[in-house]
Amino acid sequence: MENLTASSIISYVQSLEDGSAAFYGELAERFKGHRDSFAAFAAESKKNKVTVVRTYQETITDALEACFCFEGLELASYAVDTALAEGVSLTDALNVAIELEDAAIRFYLEVAERSEALLATIPRAFKRVARKRSKRKDCLEALLQ
Amino acid sequence: MAILEEPIKGTPELENFIDGEWVASDGEMKDVVNPATGKAIARVPISTKEELGAAVQAARKAYPEWRRTPPLARARCLFRLKELMEQNFEELSRVQTMEHGKTIDESRGETRRGIENVEVPAGIPTLMMGENLEDIASGIDEYLVRQPLGVFGIIGPYNFPFMVPLWFAPYAVATGNCVVLKPSSEDPISQHKIVELADEAGIPPGVWNVVHGGRTVVSSMLDHPDIKGICFVGSTPVGRDVVYKRCGETGKRVISQCGAKNFAVVMPDADISMTVASCMTSFFGNTGQRCLANGNLVIAGEGLTDSEYEAFYEKVKKAFVDAASRIRVGYGLDESVQMGPLRDRRKAERVLGYIERGIQEGAKLILDGRDPEIIGGWPSDCFVGPTIFEDVSCDMTIAKEEIFGPVASIVRASGLDQAIDMIHSNPFGNAASIFTASGKWAREFQYRVECGNIGVNIGVAAPMAFFPFSGMKDSFFGSLHGQGREAVRFFTESKVVIQRWF
Repeated sequence: MENLTASSIISYVQSLEDGSAAFYGELAERFKGHRDSFAAFAAESKKNKVTVVRTYQETITDALEACFCFEGLELASYAVDTALAEGVSLTDALNVAIELEDAAIRFYLEVAERSEALLATIPRAFKRVARKRSKRKDCLEALLQ
Repeated sequence: MAILEEPIKGTPELENFIDGEWVASDGEMKDVVNPATGKAIARVPISTKEELGAAVQAARKAYPEWRRTPPLARARCLFRLKELMEQNFEELSRVQTMEHGKTIDESRGETRRGIENVEVPAGIPTLMMGENLEDIASGIDEYLVRQPLGVFGIIGPYNFPFMVPLWFAPYAVATGNCVVLKPSSEDPISQHKIVELADEAGIPPGVWNVVHGGRTVVSSMLDHPDIKGICFVGSTPVGRDVVYKRCGETGKRVISQCGAKNFAVVMPDADISMTVASCMTSFFGNTGQRCLANGNLVIAGEGLTDSEYEAFYEKVKKAFVDAASRIRVGYGLDESVQMGPLRDRRKAERVLGYIERGIQEGAKLILDGRDPEIIGGWPSDCFVGPTIFEDVSCDMTIAKEEIFGPVASIVRASGLDQAIDMIHSNPFGNAASIFTASGKWAREFQYRVECGNIGVNIGVAAPMAFFPFSGMKDSFFGSLHGQGREAVRFFTESKVVIQRWF
């Protein structure tokens, strides 16, 4: 388990949402029938990144939060391989997407729980993104059916 | 963990910013060194008296028109400056880490605190309003207006190169004054970046000038007849014996915020886990180079028997030492790092000297930071790890003097009265904290303690931008403080008008 600085968590959020945006962008290209849904997920991930980074930048102060650490997390445990094989089916792609959402939701809820001692804006932002990604997962499961 | 990208490339030569133009200095150039890597990241001029004079002249020339600029228009410049700072938030923060050494989270925190000091005076149309009263006598009304004074000098410290000058400059400019700012020559790049943004925000030429340098610039500021007031943050010997004294002789207003030796008092009912977490930031944040840093951890045994006190003392000490020993030291752009180097080798040597002094005077070294493990294997010249002494008495040098490094002294006290006596025996009066669950003890503490900034279950009692950054005794010289409404009063003269119309 790692003790992670706020900076490393925010960097992880950026890579998670950038990666998610790229992944859904690729799905939008590959599966034209669901282009609008996937493109919307890609756009939402870009907004998620802005939401979290802005909240962090507006909240962190040198005196109160700068030495804060997120304890007991293993970032590798949230990693999902989103590389899609050539000619992957929609069903397989959706299963990867759902796995990605599960990992992302778990990440956001766990960092929200560990940041309850900070100003309320920080866990609130994490929970907000977790809710959005939870709704996204519902949409993906509906598409799967 | 990867190192974040460095925003400063090469070794740029800094120039002064006078009358809206970048002007090369005739003074000698000095290297600005990244204390973690040991590499020069810029060269800063040590400007001359004449260059300071040119900046004051530019400010004086700009003043009449700037003063007549409506407060709302001045405020809009600050709104634009704030927006530009937000857009450049990450670059501004990384620059601080490169030039000072603090961790990236600490730098981002400093950036935020700086921006808040632009946001607050952006409300200047309201903050600067005067007072009035009708009919003070038959048919006679009286009102008070706040008017700017002219040109102010600002002398910044090295420990918060971005934020501290912003305790003053935005308030001065918002109230219609002009400024000449001298950043610390040790880490001047942040102020160089800020004035670039201030210019882009539309603040007119001559209103916000930056002159790099050292003692010559400072003494020229103090003596210059066209400078109406000085804002200084730095050591007590300079702040009291040079700045405050000289401003008195030359009739200048002065805010002189100086050194500190701050105490954190832990009462028996304190939440130890939360207390220790807060103390990590307070004792070791910014590598102890903070005038609000605590240096003495007083474990007070109010109402405890001897055996109860020993158990309480050991519990607090163990938690404090355990947490401090886990702090990772290295280059602040490495996101896994929690504490950076001291600003330069001389400062590190000074801190090491205090550690030796503590040992010589009989204190027990229970966490030795003299040879820390440095994440990334950077040059070790400027690094000192968290260091903790116990068996410290208040007459020891390490308990009395400001070390300005990551060194903590654990001191025993029988109860709250003795803890407060210890605080009062120290000549400084910047900050003090109490950790307790008792409102009675907390009130007693905040009521009696002669320090300007009091923390109750807060390790770093740093006032927000809308409150004054206070200080007492040898920690502050002047009347009004930086930040908030006091800064607005400092930068304005109250003029009273009594009028009757026949």
